[in-house]
Amino acid sequence: MARKVTTRRKTINTVFAWMIGLLIFFPILWTILTSFKTEAQAISDPPVFFFFDWTLENYAVVQERSDYMRFLWNSVILAGGSTVLGLIIAVPAAWSMAFVPSKRTKDILMWMLSTKMLPAVGVLYPIYLLFIKLGLLDTRIGLTIVLMLINLPIIVWMLYTYFKEIPGEILEAARMDGASLKEEILYILTPMAVPGIASTLLLNFILAWNEAFWTLNLTAAKAAPLTAFIASYSSPEGLFYAKLSAASTMAIAPILILGWFSQKQLVRGLTFGAVK
Amino acid sequence: MDAATRPFRWHRNFSAKVAAIPMIITAMVVFVGGTVWTVVYSFTNSKLLPREKFVGLDQYERLWGSSKWLISLENLAIYGVFSLIFALVIGFLLAALLDQKIRFEDTFRTILLYPFALSFIVTGLAWQWILNPDFGIQHIVRSMGWESFTFDPLYNPDIVIYGVLIAGLWHETGLIMCLMLAGLRGIDEDIWKASRIDGIPMWKTYLFIVIPMMRGIFITAIVLIASGIIKVYDLIVAQTGGGPGISSEVPAKYVYDAMFLSQNLGQGFAASTMMLLTVVIIVVPWAYLEFGGKRQ
Repeated sequence: MARKVTTRRKTINTVFAWMIGLLIFFPILWTILTSFKTEAQAISDPPVFFFFDWTLENYAVVQERSDYMRFLWNSVILAGGSTVLGLIIAVPAAWSMAFVPSKRTKDILMWMLSTKMLPAVGVLYPIYLLFIKLGLLDTRIGLTIVLMLINLPIIVWMLYTYFKEIPGEILEAARMDGASLKEEILYILTPMAVPGIASTLLLNFILAWNEAFWTLNLTAAKAAPLTAFIASYSSPEGLFYAKLSAASTMAIAPILILGWFSQKQLVRGLTFGAVK
Repeated sequence: MDAATRPFRWHRNFSAKVAAIPMIITAMVVFVGGTVWTVVYSFTNSKLLPREKFVGLDQYERLWGSSKWLISLENLAIYGVFSLIFALVIGFLLAALLDQKIRFEDTFRTILLYPFALSFIVTGLAWQWILNPDFGIQHIVRSMGWESFTFDPLYNPDIVIYGVLIAGLWHETGLIMCLMLAGLRGIDEDIWKASRIDGIPMWKTYLFIVIPMMRGIFITAIVLIASGIIKVYDLIVAQTGGGPGISSEVPAKYVYDAMFLSQNLGQGFAASTMMLLTVVIIVVPWAYLEFGGKRQ
C-alpha cells in the first residue's frame, strides 16, 4: 500500500525495519564476532562486543584439527555438480512443459512437487542399500546425484514458471527462421531466461550446500561436505565456543558472501520466484 | 524448412516427451520405488539387514507401544502447529508494519533471508549457545541484575521443543516476511482508497480484503513452512540431539535411530511408513481442493 506517507513516517519506518533486520542478523553477527575471540573472552562476563583482542587463533586450530579446505572443496563440488547436473535435466523438461504442454503437464508438475513434501527418511534406506551395492557410499559422485534428485522438482518448477513468462511467439519466429530444436532452446530460450535461471541456480546451490540429512547419512570421511564438518564440532567440542564459532563462520561465509554479491538473485531464488 | 508441416509438429511433440522423460523416470524410480520398497519391508522383522520374513503388523504394534515414538509425534505436532501459526502471523504483522519502500531494500531483504540461507546445523548450534543458561540469554539477563530470571528451554524436558521452535522460527520468519512484503506490494492502491472512503477499519480491510487477495502468497508460504517442518531432523540433531533424555525426539530421528543405531530396520520402516501416511492424509485432500478444481 503505497499510501501517502510523510518523510518522518518514512524515516521511522526505515529505522524500525533495520532494527528488525539487525535482530534477525544478530545471531549470525555474534557467531562471527565470537570466532575472533579467545575462549576466555567468548564466555566472559559481561559479554564483550567489539573491544577485545581480535585473534585468528581459532581458525588456525580448526584448520589444523580438521582440514577445512577438504570439506570446503567437497561442498563446492557437491553443490556445484548437483546444480549443473540438475539444470541439464531440468531445462529440457521445463521447456517441454512450458511450450509443448499436454493435458497431463499440470498433474505431472504437481506430482513432482509433492515428492518434496514426502519425508526423506522414507527413501533413506533403499538409497543407502543401492549405494552400498553400487559402491557409491561416501563418494562425491553418489552424493551429487542424490542432491540433484532431491532438488530436481524445485528446479523444474521454478524454470517452468520463468519460461512461462516468455512469449511463445518468439520461439515460433526463431523456428520460422529455421532454428533447430537444439538451437531454439540453447540460443533463444536460455539467454532470455537468464535472470530466472540464475536465481534457480543460486537457490539450488544453497539448498545443496545446506543439505544435512543426506550428507550426514551417506558420507563418512572422503566425500563429507561442510555440514558434516560443523556437525562434527557440535558434541565433543561442546564448550569450546570460540572454536565452534570459527568452524560455523567458515562454513557459512561462502554463502553469506555469495548472497551479498547477488542480492537480487538471492531474493528471487530463496523466495522460490515469488518475489520478482 | 516449413514449420507447419506435420513431420515437424510430430517431431516437436516427440522431442517434448523425450525431454521430460529423464526427469519423470528419475522421480519415478527414486521416490516411488524407494517408498514402495520401504512400505513393503515395514511388514518384515528385518533387524540388521533387510529380510523377507513377513510378520504382519508386528512392527506397527511395537511402534505404537513405544513411548519414544509417541513423544516424537507430540513434538512434531507442537513444532508443526506453532511454527506454522507463528511464522505466518509474525511474518505478516512485521510485513504490514513495514509496508513501504525501505532504504537499501535489496540489502534489507538479503539480511532477512540470511537465516534461511544457512544450514539447519548452523542454526541449531547458534541457538544451542544463545539458549545456554550459562552464556546465553539467561546469563545476560541475570548479569543485568534480575538474578532469578530463568530461561533454559534446552535443559528442561517439558519445554525443550519450544527452544527448538524458537530456532526454527528464526530460520524461516524472515523468508515469510519477505514473501508477505512482496504480496502487500501487489495490492492495488485503489483497494485502500476505496476501503477508506467506505470507512472500513484498517484491520477489517486487512482481514477480509487484503489477506484473501494474497492467497497465492499464503499458499507459497505454507508450502515452504510445511516442507521445513518435515525436515526438522537436522535442527534437532544439531541443537539438542533429541535430549534431554528423549524429550525432544522427532519422528525422522526415531526412524534414523531405529535403522542405524539400534539395528532395528523393520521398526524404522514402519515408522517412516507412518510418517508417509500422515503426510499423505494431510496433503492429498488439501492439494486436491487447492489445485484439483482449476483443471479447466
